[in-house]
Amino acid sequence: MSRTDRTHALRLLVAWAVLSVIGVVIAMQVHLPPGNQSQQSTDTTSLLQLMLIISTPVFIGVVLFILYSAFAFRQKAGALEDGPAYHGNFRLQVAWVAITAVIVFILAGLGISGLAATSSGTNFTSSTQPALATASVGTSTADRLQVQVIAQQWYFTYRYPGYGGVESLHLILPVDSNVVIHVTSTDIIHSFWAYQLGVKADANPGVDNLAYVTTLQTGSFTVRCAELCGIWHGNMVDTGGAVVSQADFATWIAGLQKAGATQVLPPYQPFYFPSPRVKGT
Amino acid sequence: MRLVVLVVAVGILSALVTIFVVGFMLHRPPMLNAVANSNGEGVKIHLEVVGSVNSAIEFPRPTDPHPTWVSYLPTTILKVPANSLVTMQIDQEDTPSGLRNPFWAQAQGIVGGTFHMTYFDNSGNPQSGDFSSLDDPANAAHTFAIPDLGVFVPLEGVNAAAPAGSMNVITFSFMTGKAGTYHWQCFVPCGSGTIYGNGGPMQTTGYMAGFLVVQ
Amino acid sequence: MAIAAIGNGGPSIQTSERQMVLPTNLLTGIVLAAIGYWAGVQLGNSFGFNDGLNTGVLLGYMFATIMFLVGLGFANYPLARLFGWPVAPQSSYDEHRGAWRYLNLSLDHKVIGIQYLVAMLMAMLFGGIGAMLIRTSLLSPDQALVSPDNYLTLVSMHSVMMIFVASAAIVGPFGNFFVPYMIGTNRMAFPRIEALSFWLVPPAIVILLASPLFGGFPTGWTGYAPLSEQAGQGFDSYIVGFTLIGLAICLSGVNMLTTVICLRAPGMTWTRLPIFVWGVFSTSILGAFAAPVLASALSMQALDRTINTSFFISSNGGSNYLWENLFWFFGHPEVYIFILPAFGIVMELIPHFARKPLWGYRTAVVGLLGVTLLSWFVWQHHLFVSGIAPALRPFYMLSTEMISIPTGIVFLVAFGTLWRARISMTVPMLFCLGFLFNFLIGGLSGVFLSDTPSDVTLHGSYFSMAHFHYTIVGGEIFAIVAAIYYWFPKMTGRMLNMTMGKIHFWWMMIAFNLAFMPLFAAGILDMPRRVSTYLPSLQGLNDWVSIWAYVLFSSMIFLAINVIWSWFFNPKLAPADPWHARSIEWQLPTPLPERNFARIPTFTRAPYDYGDPQGARPSVDLGPEPAPA
Repeated sequence: MSRTDRTHALRLLVAWAVLSVIGVVIAMQVHLPPGNQSQQSTDTTSLLQLMLIISTPVFIGVVLFILYSAFAFRQKAGALEDGPAYHGNFRLQVAWVAITAVIVFILAGLGISGLAATSSGTNFTSSTQPALATASVGTSTADRLQVQVIAQQWYFTYRYPGYGGVESLHLILPVDSNVVIHVTSTDIIHSFWAYQLGVKADANPGVDNLAYVTTLQTGSFTVRCAELCGIWHGNMVDTGGAVVSQADFATWIAGLQKAGATQVLPPYQPFYFPSPRVKGT
Repeated sequence: MRLVVLVVAVGILSALVTIFVVGFMLHRPPMLNAVANSNGEGVKIHLEVVGSVNSAIEFPRPTDPHPTWVSYLPTTILKVPANSLVTMQIDQEDTPSGLRNPFWAQAQGIVGGTFHMTYFDNSGNPQSGDFSSLDDPANAAHTFAIPDLGVFVPLEGVNAAAPAGSMNVITFSFMTGKAGTYHWQCFVPCGSGTIYGNGGPMQTTGYMAGFLVVQ
Repeated sequence: MAIAAIGNGGPSIQTSERQMVLPTNLLTGIVLAAIGYWAGVQLGNSFGFNDGLNTGVLLGYMFATIMFLVGLGFANYPLARLFGWPVAPQSSYDEHRGAWRYLNLSLDHKVIGIQYLVAMLMAMLFGGIGAMLIRTSLLSPDQALVSPDNYLTLVSMHSVMMIFVASAAIVGPFGNFFVPYMIGTNRMAFPRIEALSFWLVPPAIVILLASPLFGGFPTGWTGYAPLSEQAGQGFDSYIVGFTLIGLAICLSGVNMLTTVICLRAPGMTWTRLPIFVWGVFSTSILGAFAAPVLASALSMQALDRTINTSFFISSNGGSNYLWENLFWFFGHPEVYIFILPAFGIVMELIPHFARKPLWGYRTAVVGLLGVTLLSWFVWQHHLFVSGIAPALRPFYMLSTEMISIPTGIVFLVAFGTLWRARISMTVPMLFCLGFLFNFLIGGLSGVFLSDTPSDVTLHGSYFSMAHFHYTIVGGEIFAIVAAIYYWFPKMTGRMLNMTMGKIHFWWMMIAFNLAFMPLFAAGILDMPRRVSTYLPSLQGLNDWVSIWAYVLFSSMIFLAINVIWSWFFNPKLAPADPWHARSIEWQLPTPLPERNFARIPTFTRAPYDYGDPQGARPSVDLGPEPAPA
């Protein structure tokens, strides 16, 4: 590397280091959603924060290089000189590829460990363990509160199989509980997205898709549909979801059971095939 | 010169295409204003639900582009005032299709929890009464539901034994809150011939889908 | 290993000499298309399937397209060979002369390039109008302007039209026009197939624009079944239109691969190939092999909608996952089809404006081919929350994140080329730098999405929408605009106004970033995609985005004005080499002669040998053939 190369490189490195430190400090102050209402949303928030912090020096580095080159390496006005005939530098190329590979594998590793702790899904049966379960999510699906989310065009309803299969308009969950959500659809593909709980699972017809939530704080949450399902997809919103104290939950669900709606409903099933498939056939 | 002609021709063609597409996109069904209720409490809306538009009795739409579609008539964009009592009278003329999710057989979110219905029994005799749900979810023809206001009302289908041209009249009331636009829909998969019954009229405003404009 | 080039004289393309019953041109094509449509509808409806009249519309579109192509003259040569009619070498590329050539079947790759350019710009205009309507509708969350069913048709038409543009907007105009020059040949390997790949595009656009006549369709560009099977006849436009574009991509891919492999001139070895040709080559691999998967999946949808098969209906034994997987198996390579030629353009232009060789040429090639290879192994990242087997997710997360390694190589190569360079800040160079900035943001947001736990919040939200708009618009469209400013003088013989160009760059760059950056926030703040209503607290954000979207659209209109004025109303001829670049297309005169090369050239060096200590040596020998000894 010639002396001029070293000068430019040093200037860039120092500027990058300084700006990156400032950038990372700012990135750490950014308050990212979705918040702390559940273990899953807490994990998602910290993962998003981490990725923001990792992206900041990368972003600053690239933008700094572009701006620096635009000013430092300009053609003099009216001239038509060639630059030096650099064709490549094998070691530099290998170093770049190696460093990006290392960052990628670190991120992938973080993601995989995050997968083990947050929502996992399986389909077609509800009795098997999720593949990457750890102790923090509970070792058996039987210990958890079972909730079924039935997606239909264009509203979600919720059934509680452990309480006689009662069905309700809003998703009410007790705090400090491990919940397994069975998501299914009675017609087309929807997606159950409980924003503040950090849960998203597609609702497929004829499929029992699982998502896991560990509730940490009381409060309300919004449930939306996140997969285009026709005319009212954007309106398929329920702001009445809530995480309540365990006592309030017990009262509420007892009220539902007494309301007698259960008699009208068919027995709980992991998924329901819509019928008829086509009206008039 | 020929190039200029070409450019101008292309420009005119593009403009025409744009006007056509924009015209399609901006087309909306007309709005129905609720009228003051005769008994002085709030407003009233009168709708008709038919198995096909060309069999409409009270609110015919002869120039409708889909005469065989199920539809609410005369229109599906309804305007009501905020913070007031809205009484709906729905003339239900369609035969039963059956609810896919029997949960919707219960009426929810309406004043008093009950709706008043005149209907025909299995012998074809007219009956009437107040109900909080349908006896049999398989008898539902349609529902009137405003999910954001929590209003869900099942509409029973006309019994096969009833005379031709009969209708079930369902009346109920609900309260509106603050101003806004709320969508309403049917929960019976009544889109005949479409996959899972939810295509066609179920996904077209002016038929089985619409808005409650609260102002 | 270059096979000897095609002859020294004459294009040696054979045509049928027989006079057909009707003269074959665009007008005949349109008339026959109308007849074909009517015939198809009659035939389809006569079968009496319980299909909502979809069979008629599908057959109508298919017959219309076939008759359109017959009317243009595509059947002439095949029929001649089939029936043994006389054929002879064509003396020039086209039977038609003047501007009429551009509206008809032409076997001249230069004419096809211009045809593609105009078609792509028009399709972009229609897609852009759709986008303006979408943003206008999103000015308020109360769904008052456009009712939600029409809104979904709007979103679907905007997205599908833009997919049509993005699939072909670089390879079509610039690939077809310049690849033969860059490899030193007079023609593409299969000129008729090249023309066919173009002439499938106008029918696809017209069929898509016809969709509102049948009620539109609500599925967006992903066409997920079973929602798509609930849709009315408007969805048949999607099936036929997308199949035609898939065919166009596949044919163009096969043609391009054969041309680059077989028709390179002497001395044009693989390691001297301009990086733009490598970009087109790697895209063509993806196009040729991914597009057929789309076509087969669309046929299954067509069968479900006509003869009531149940490929995607789970209650009858099918599965909605089948469509999701087939579509995304095509769909992921498809998005690399968008970006690989854009990488090719940016890596091609930067050396010429930095006046330095392309730094790390072989690494760049490895990067392009690496992206090509890896793109086949990542598609399930679109299905992370769909309920796939949990054990699949770590693998696809890893493969998706690994794709950022070869993508990063593009930045490495660009930076190496900019290092210690003598940069001329011309308009194409500004757009290349803008590409680097925008694609950086697009790529980083892709990493957020590739991480499965965070994807749980971000999937199906405006974050993912902002990600792909940054990569496709901020990436590919910026590269296309750079290519337009760069190659316009050679393609049309006129320079675009560079002052307007500089204004355009800043206008577009600022408007684009201000419009799309807040959408990342919208996605994180609980706004899903494809919705016409949203939380009232997000209205300020949406209004800001809509206003800057209008500004962005107006910047493209500004470009259109520049293009139209410079092309048709500016009499001044462009110089042969306005950029003082060393690649072969700039060593040729402007306007370009009809026959590319009187004698097939011999290449002696790579096209980026700037800074050569021995002074500028020619990289190609274009001189007359040496006299025999």
